[in-house]
Amino acid sequence: MNLNMNSAESLVAQIQGFSGTVHDLAHLQSLLKQYDDLLHSDSTRSAALLSELDPAKHSLGYLYILEACTSTPIAKEQVSEIALSIARFIDACTSDQIRLAPDKFISVCKRFKDQIMLLEAPLRGVAPMLTALRKLQSSTEQLTTLHPDFLLLCLLAKCYKTGLSILEDDIYEVDQPRDFFLYCYYGGMICIGQKRFRKASELLHNVVTAPMSTINAIAIEAYKKYILVSLIHFGQFSTSFPKYTSSVAQRNLKNFSQPYLDLASSYSNGNISELESCAETNKEKFESDNNLGLVKQVVSSMYKRNIQRLTQTYLTLSLQDIANTVELSGPKEAEMHVLQMIQDGEIYATINQKDGMVRFLEDPEQYKTCRMIEHIDSSIQRIMTLSKKLGAVDELMSCDPAYLAKVGRERQRFDFDDFDSVPQKFNI
Amino acid sequence: MDFSSLTEALASQAYDKVADICDALMLQVAAQGVAFQDEWPYAIHLLGHIYVNDINSARFLWKRIPAAIKDSRPEVNAAWKVGQKLWTRDYAGVHEALREFHWSPDAQGIVAAFSELYTKRMFDLLLSAYSTISVQDAALFLGMSEDDATNYVLQRGWIVDTSGMLTVKKQAVATEQRLDPSKLQRLTEYVFHLEQ
Repeated sequence: MNLNMNSAESLVAQIQGFSGTVHDLAHLQSLLKQYDDLLHSDSTRSAALLSELDPAKHSLGYLYILEACTSTPIAKEQVSEIALSIARFIDACTSDQIRLAPDKFISVCKRFKDQIMLLEAPLRGVAPMLTALRKLQSSTEQLTTLHPDFLLLCLLAKCYKTGLSILEDDIYEVDQPRDFFLYCYYGGMICIGQKRFRKASELLHNVVTAPMSTINAIAIEAYKKYILVSLIHFGQFSTSFPKYTSSVAQRNLKNFSQPYLDLASSYSNGNISELESCAETNKEKFESDNNLGLVKQVVSSMYKRNIQRLTQTYLTLSLQDIANTVELSGPKEAEMHVLQMIQDGEIYATINQKDGMVRFLEDPEQYKTCRMIEHIDSSIQRIMTLSKKLGAVDELMSCDPAYLAKVGRERQRFDFDDFDSVPQKFNI
Repeated sequence: MDFSSLTEALASQAYDKVADICDALMLQVAAQGVAFQDEWPYAIHLLGHIYVNDINSARFLWKRIPAAIKDSRPEVNAAWKVGQKLWTRDYAGVHEALREFHWSPDAQGIVAAFSELYTKRMFDLLLSAYSTISVQDAALFLGMSEDDATNYVLQRGWIVDTSGMLTVKKQAVATEQRLDPSKLQRLTEYVFHLEQ
């Protein structure tokens, strides 16, 4: 069967007629499924049909046809034009309709991303991809397979700030583990670029501790960055994994990251020249991992860390003494370091230029302003939402037959052991 | 390209919105496949990021600018020079970079506003970080002559001694503390949640 004039016209008429109610759309979709092979077989003629449809009103029909006519390889000179038509569709389409055929929508968007990469113009893809993932999600808690693609485009286009906009959403629903791994990894890189190290470490931590049955490259790279970010932000790194880390990760990650672990252990000694030489020894490795910039930030963060350490011991200290202990060239450099740290809220201190002294102060926050109350309030709200979510997940799990069966088996075994151990004690 | 929202923001001195407007507009025209680079107001865009103290974004924008534009448009370079000084925390250098370039009429407004804002930011920094500071250094931070700087801080209650050393005086800032009655309702909800 061919997609002849008559069937094409009738398809267009059906799409135009059945794009209104939910009921109509269900009917239309079953019809489109029947036409799907036909549309794919003659993609040139399919493309012609698009001009008769309105991407906003007839999104579902438009999507099926667009998917069919972009499925064949396209000539290089056409790529730009086709990418543009997909971008227009993404912008115009109605989210209720495209969500009826998420697979089709995703494959159109993935092709769009490939075309953008081919054009080497990642900036062109950023806005459409963001629109696409927002239209595809049923709520902001859902991670779509388009999330990592969007973040990758942001990284390539150096639009870090735009990337941040989706990282503020808390994710609770994940379909594919790979999407989650990549989302957290790219997200971590975006946060590093914007110097949001706390958020970066949270995202990278998620990759490292996520359930996995085999070791993967994303987790290894994330672990390396996680070590560096922890040093920059927290000034330390613990080599022990949290309990919920998969055993695969616990067994393997360290083997792939020895230079990074060396750097972390050198950092804990607080000796700047030792750290510098450690960074120098493994320079090639860091460079080939594209982590040299981060390593440099680790090294310069050590000055801060050492100054912070001084605030725990002294109430006042001369700038000269600070320069000597922290290995800075002189009192002026020490003053600039202290000033930067005050500016960034990393220490509380006042500099007395007259006497060349620094007085370290306590955190002036007294937790009694309206702003602080608002802050605490919003934290409580967030924790309450989280606890409700945990409760719901817990309930869901305790009704899961697979889980109950496993727990049931284990309880039996334990009971048996308990019972067994008792008579042994009295076995004389 | 429709720059009306940008022109409007600049005209109404809503400089804190400039970066967001430019970002959104750039993504929009890029998605339409328009070759916008030659006409793009990069200097204003950079200054917009700088105005809201988002030096990271200014830096990434600078990296995106095609080399040909960097070579041919001195104002773009001058705008980035300000960003660079901020990035390296060359406090006095920021004032210098703002002053040494002859800005175009489009940029003059935002440059002047930032300059004023930055002086204020520096004054606040000195206020929080120093108990005494030399007139010489204060002048560098504030981007003024030593006389102007002395006048500026004396008006704000500081004291100068004969050796040219300034004593910083912090003024108590009274912020209004008023709680919304709905807070009480919230507290009830929290207790209720805990009891569950």
